[in-house]
Amino acid sequence: MSSRAATPTPTALRWRPRSIEAFYRPLRRQLDHDSERCVQSQRGRPRPFLPRAVTRGGQIGVGESMRRFGYLAPKSVSEAVSVLAEHANVAKLVAGGTDLVVQMKDGVRRPQVVIDITGIDELRTLEERDDGLHLGALVRMGEIENHPLIIEKYPVLVDSAKLVGSKQVRNLATIAGNTCNASPGADTPPALIALDAQVHTLGPTGPRVVPIDQFFVGPGRTVLEPGELVTKFVVRKAAPNEGAYYERHTPRKELDIAVVGVGAWVRLNGETIEDARIGIAAVYPTPLRATDAEAALRGKPFGQAALDAAAAAAVAQSRPISDVRGSAEFRRWLVDVLTRRAVTNAVARARGGGPRAGETH
Amino acid sequence: MLQERVGQATVTVHVTVNGVPRPVTTVPNRTALELLREDLALTGAKEGCGTGDCGACTIVVDGRPVNGCLLLAPMLDGKTVLTVEGVARGGKLHPVQQAMVEMGGLQCGFCTPGFVVTAVNYLEQHPNPTEDEIRVAIAGNLCRCTGYSKIVDALLEAAKRMREGEGR
Amino acid sequence: MTELKVVGKPLPRIEGPEKVTGQTVYAADMQLPGMLHAKVLRCPYPHALIKRIDTSKAKAYPGVVAVVTAEDLPPADRDPSVRPHAVLVEGEAIFEGQAVAAVAAETAYIAEEALDLIEVEYEELPAVLDPEEAIKPGSPFTRRPLEEIDLSEIEGHVTVDISAADDAEAHRRSPNISNRLHFVRGNVEKGFEEADIIVEGRFDSKMAHQAYLEPQACVAHYDATGKLTIWTPTQGQFHQRNDIARILGLPHEKINLVGTEVGGGFGAKVAPLIQPLTALLSMKSGRPVKLVLTRREDLMNSVPAPRGIVQAKIGATKDGRLTAFKGRVIFDSGAFPAGTPVGATMMMAACYKFDHLDVEGIEVLTNKCGAGAYRAPGMPEVTFAIEQLVDEVCRQGGFDPIELRKKNVCREGDLMPNGRPWPKIGLYECLEALEQSELWQTRHQAKNGGKPRGIGVAIGAWPGGMQPASAMVKMNENGTIKVVVGSNDISGVNTSFNMIAAEELGVPMHMVTTITADTDTAPYAGLAAGSKTLYSGGKAVQAAAQDARRQIIAIASRELDANPEDLVIEDGVVFVPGTDKSISFQRIAGLTMGFGSRYAPVVGRGGEVIRNQAPGTTAQAVEVEVDPETGNVTVTRVAAAQDVGKAINRLSIIGQLEGGVTQCLGMGLTEEMIFDERGRMRNPVFLDYRLLTALDVPRIEAIIVEVPSPEGPFGARIAGEPSIIAASAAIANALRDATGLRFYEAPMTPERVLRRLREAGKAVRQPVALGEAAL
Repeated sequence: MSSRAATPTPTALRWRPRSIEAFYRPLRRQLDHDSERCVQSQRGRPRPFLPRAVTRGGQIGVGESMRRFGYLAPKSVSEAVSVLAEHANVAKLVAGGTDLVVQMKDGVRRPQVVIDITGIDELRTLEERDDGLHLGALVRMGEIENHPLIIEKYPVLVDSAKLVGSKQVRNLATIAGNTCNASPGADTPPALIALDAQVHTLGPTGPRVVPIDQFFVGPGRTVLEPGELVTKFVVRKAAPNEGAYYERHTPRKELDIAVVGVGAWVRLNGETIEDARIGIAAVYPTPLRATDAEAALRGKPFGQAALDAAAAAAVAQSRPISDVRGSAEFRRWLVDVLTRRAVTNAVARARGGGPRAGETH
Repeated sequence: MLQERVGQATVTVHVTVNGVPRPVTTVPNRTALELLREDLALTGAKEGCGTGDCGACTIVVDGRPVNGCLLLAPMLDGKTVLTVEGVARGGKLHPVQQAMVEMGGLQCGFCTPGFVVTAVNYLEQHPNPTEDEIRVAIAGNLCRCTGYSKIVDALLEAAKRMREGEGR
Repeated sequence: MTELKVVGKPLPRIEGPEKVTGQTVYAADMQLPGMLHAKVLRCPYPHALIKRIDTSKAKAYPGVVAVVTAEDLPPADRDPSVRPHAVLVEGEAIFEGQAVAAVAAETAYIAEEALDLIEVEYEELPAVLDPEEAIKPGSPFTRRPLEEIDLSEIEGHVTVDISAADDAEAHRRSPNISNRLHFVRGNVEKGFEEADIIVEGRFDSKMAHQAYLEPQACVAHYDATGKLTIWTPTQGQFHQRNDIARILGLPHEKINLVGTEVGGGFGAKVAPLIQPLTALLSMKSGRPVKLVLTRREDLMNSVPAPRGIVQAKIGATKDGRLTAFKGRVIFDSGAFPAGTPVGATMMMAACYKFDHLDVEGIEVLTNKCGAGAYRAPGMPEVTFAIEQLVDEVCRQGGFDPIELRKKNVCREGDLMPNGRPWPKIGLYECLEALEQSELWQTRHQAKNGGKPRGIGVAIGAWPGGMQPASAMVKMNENGTIKVVVGSNDISGVNTSFNMIAAEELGVPMHMVTTITADTDTAPYAGLAAGSKTLYSGGKAVQAAAQDARRQIIAIASRELDANPEDLVIEDGVVFVPGTDKSISFQRIAGLTMGFGSRYAPVVGRGGEVIRNQAPGTTAQAVEVEVDPETGNVTVTRVAAAQDVGKAINRLSIIGQLEGGVTQCLGMGLTEEMIFDERGRMRNPVFLDYRLLTALDVPRIEAIIVEVPSPEGPFGARIAGEPSIIAASAAIANALRDATGLRFYEAPMTPERVLRRLREAGKAVRQPVALGEAAL
C-alpha cells in the first residue's frame, strides 16, 4: 500500500519541515520562498511531450456568488428611465431575475448597478383593449398560462409560456425578461413573432414601437438603446378564422430548454391559408422569423404540398449551430418536423379545434 | 474587480417569513435563499443547483412557489414568504409532511423541503388532484432517490386527508 | 423462529419528521462561531503544467484569512495515484477543474473575489481524451506513470476473488492503463463453433454522474489542541478518517469525523474529496472553515461513473442454449483509477452458464474528471451490452426473452467467471416473478395503434461487498433502547437496524432509537457501500441486541427467580408465561443505574465478520413509446423484480428498487457528461445534465423476491445496488421491439434515436395522420 512513497512527489522532495507541529505554525514567508524554487525545479523536470501553448489562465467560472452591485428600485417608469439612462453602461434591469441572476453567478454579466423594476405597477397591465391584448413587461409566465382570456383567445402564448423552465421559474420569469434576454432559444419570442406582437418601449428620447421581428439583434442583444426599457407588448385582437400554435422539442418534459421551437400563426379563408407567420427558436443568432416559410404558405390551400414547401423553406432559412443540446443536422430535421406540426395545429385552431392551450407534449 | 459602487450598497428588506415580520439589512448581491439561510438562519430550503434547475430551494412568495436561488434578496421587500419551517403548526405535521413520512415520500431528504412547500401550496389551491396533475405540479422539483412514485402517492393521500379536514 | 413482529413490515423512516420540517442539518447548513468560507481556484485546462502561482495579492485582500496551494500541504505519505490524495495540483494538472488553490475568507463573496487575485501561469499540455486511442502505443500520457493502484475503496463496494484473473503485466503495457482483468473459461472459439446463432456489437455507455441533490460539502475545524473535527456527508466515516489521516499526516486519534446527513451519495461520498482541502484551510487559519461545492463544481470535479465501451460477441444453439461469450470492456476512468473493472469485468457475463467465455476489463486514464463508484460500479455499462446481445439471440432464434433467460441463468453452484461457485441466488426466481408481473402479463395489449411501442427485458446481478461491522445496544435510564452504530445511513438503514433491535429484544419500535455516532464514539463499521450496510451491519446490530437481551434475561431471571429459558419478552416486559411473574425494562433500568444498584448496566456488544457474499439479482421489463418524428423515447411502464433475501423494511426496499431503476432510466434516456474536443465538460449544469422529472418517470411495478441468504440478518441479502443495473439495457431492448433497430449508445437521446431511425429509413416527418386528426 505504501510502496508509492518511493515515487517522490515534488512537494516531498522540496520541503520537509522538522516536524508536523512545525508545519502547523504559520510559515507563510518560508512557503513563499519555497514556491519560487518550486517553479524552477519543475522547469527542469523531464516531460514526455512538448508544450503546445503557454497560457496565463484565469479561473473557470465556478458560478456561485454574485459579485457586489448597487441596487436601485424605481417606483415609476419615468424614474426607471432616468436611472437607467444615468447608469446606462453599467446597469442591468431585473424583472424576474431567472436569467440575470444565473448570468451574474456565472460571471457572464457583472453589472455595477441592478435596477429592480418589479415595483412599477404600470408595467403589470394585462388586458384586452380595442386594439388587442396588452401584456405589460412584468406579466409573468405563470400568469399567462393561467389567464382565462389568454387561454381562450391567445392559446399560443400559453403553449410557449407554459414550457419555460419550471413552475417555480414561471412564477418569476416575465414576458419582457424572456424577450429582452434575447436568447435565441427562448420560448415566448416565436409565439410573439407568430402573433406579430408590437414591442412598446420608453427611453430618454420618448416612446417607440418596434415590431417583435425587428427587436432582436443578436444573442443577448436587442435594439434597445441605452436607457430604454420595454413597457409592454401589444398583440392584435384574435379573429375567429385565425389560429396559432407553438411546440418545441426537448428531451425532458419539464426543466428544459428548446432544442428547436416553432410557433406558427395562420389566417384562413375557407381552405386557403390567407396569411401566415412563423417564428423559430434556437436555430439562428436571434429568434427567427421564417419569412420564406410564410411565403410558401400564403395563398395556398392547406395540405401536404403547402406543408412540404413551408417546412423546406423554414429549414433553408435556419442557420443552426451544433451545441450541447443538439447538432445542426438534428435541429434542421426538427425545424422541418415542428414547422409541419405547428402549422397543422395552427390551422386546426383556426378551424375552432386543435390542441387545448398549453397542450403541446 | 472592485467596482465603483453605484446605488445602495446595503438594503433593508422588510419581509414577513412564516407569519413573522423579519426586517433584514443585507447586501443587495444576495439571493432570497441566501438571505433566508444565512441572514435568518432558516436552512430548511436547500441549494441544490443555484440555477433554478432542481427546485430544492423552493419557497412560497406571496402565494406562489418560486426558486429562492433565482430571486434577488432585495426583491423580497414587502413580500410574505412561506418556508418549510412554517409548514407545520403547533407541533403538528401538515398532512403533506405526515403523508410524506408515512408513505416513503422521502429518502435522503435534501429535496424534501422543496417538495413539501411546492405540494402544500398546490394542494391548498387544488384539493382534488389526479395523479397526472400532481406530477405536473411537482415537475419543477428533482428527486434523485425515490423515482417520484412514493412522493406522488403521499401527495394523493395528503390531498385526501386535507379534504377530510385534517388540514389546519 | 417465532412469527416476526416488526421485521418485514413497511415502516416509515425514523428521521422522517426531521426531514419534512427542514430541521435536518446537512453540512452546508452548519454555522460555527468564527467560521470562514472557502472557495477554490480551479485549473481551466484538462492537462497543464503550473509554471507559477502568485497568491500574494489574494493573501493581502481584506477579509481573506488563508490561501493555500500545494506548497502548503503538510509532508505526508500521499499517494498521487488516487483521487483523495490529489488535494491540490502539485505541478501537473490532469483534468479540467482540478483544485489549484483555495481561499478561506470571512464571507464566500470575499473568498471568491480573492480568487480573481491569484495569478497562475499554466503551460497547456496535450490532453488524452479518447480511451481507445489512449491505450495505443505512442499515445501521449495522461499523467506520469503510476506504479501501483490503491484499490481499497472499490474493495469496499465489491468483494471479488480475482485470483483467477490473468492480469499479465497489466499496467505495464501502457501507462494510461490503470487496471486490467481477464477471465477465461473453456475454449471460447470452440464455443462459437458449437453455436448456431452468433451476434456481436460494440456498445458505448457514456459517463454519468451520481447527481445527488446535495452538493459535496464539508466543515472542518482544527482546534488549539491539534484536534481536527470534520463534519461532512460521508458513506464511510472511518474509511474517510483513515484516508485523511494519511493525506494530512495526522494521527487517527487526532481526527474526529462526524458524518452529517447524506443528501444522496450513491457511491460518490465514500472517499474524501474536498475534506482534506477544507481541513488544510482550517489548519492554516486556525478557524472553522466551510466549503460547499457549487453544482457546477460538483458536476465537473467529483467522482462520476466511467464511460464503458464494450465489444462483445455471444453464441447460442438453435435450441436456445448460450454457448460462448467473448467481451472486452474499456472503462474511461478519467484522470484517476476507480477500480471499476474489478466487479464489472467478472459480472459482465456472470448471470449465464456459458461453458466458454473470455472477458476482459481495462481501465484507462484520460484527462477528464476522475471516475469513482456509482451504485453497482460499471454494471449498467456492461449490462447494456450483454443484455442486448442476449435479446438479439432471442430475436434471431425466436425465443421468448424470459424463457431463454430462465433456461440459461446461473443458480446456486454454477460457476462464476472467476471459477468460484455462485452461492444461493434468486435470479431464476426474479425471472419467474417478472413473468407474473402485470406488465408482462398484459404485454400484448400494450400496442394502442399510436406511436410505435415495445417491451424489453434485461437482468443483472451484483455480488456486493463484505466488511466487518460492530454495534452497541444499550438500555437508557427509562428502559428504552439505544442502538449505536458507526455506519452512515444513506438508505434508511438505521430504521432497519431499529427494527432488527426491536425484533430481537421484544420491544415495540418506539422504544428503540438508532443513531450513527461519530468516529470518536461509535464502534467501528465499514463503508455504507457495496449494498452491504444492512447485510453486515444488521448482523452486528442483531448480535448486539442478542447480547443485551441475554443481559436483560439474566437480570430478570434472578429478580423473578425463574429459569432463563422460561422467560419471554413482549412489549418491553419480561415475564414467565402462565404466571404473574413479570418485570418491565423500566424496572430493570432502575436496578442497573441507581445508587447502590445490584446489576451492571445493560450494554450489548455485537461484532460480525460475514465471510460469504449474498449477491442480489434483478429482472426488469420496460415498455417504451417512440416518436418517429423526433426520436423522443417515453418510458410508459416498468416492472422490476429483485431478490433481497428478506425485506427487513418493505417500504425502504421498494424505495431502493424504484430509485435505482429511475437512475438507470436516466442513464438510458438523458444523462451524459459531455466533453468537447479539448476535454472540457460542456454541460455542468442541471439544465443540461438532465435528471428525469416526475413527468418522465412512470409508476414502477416493484416486485420483492425473497430467497433467503444463509448468513444475513433474517435472511436479508444486499439490496441497494442491483436495481440500477438493468433498465438502460431494457430500454434498448424495448426500442428494438418497437423499431426493429439496435441502439448501441446510451443514453438513447432523441438525437441518437432519430439518427438510427433515419439511417434505417424509419424516421417520419409527414404528420399527415396528425394533420387529419386535427382537421
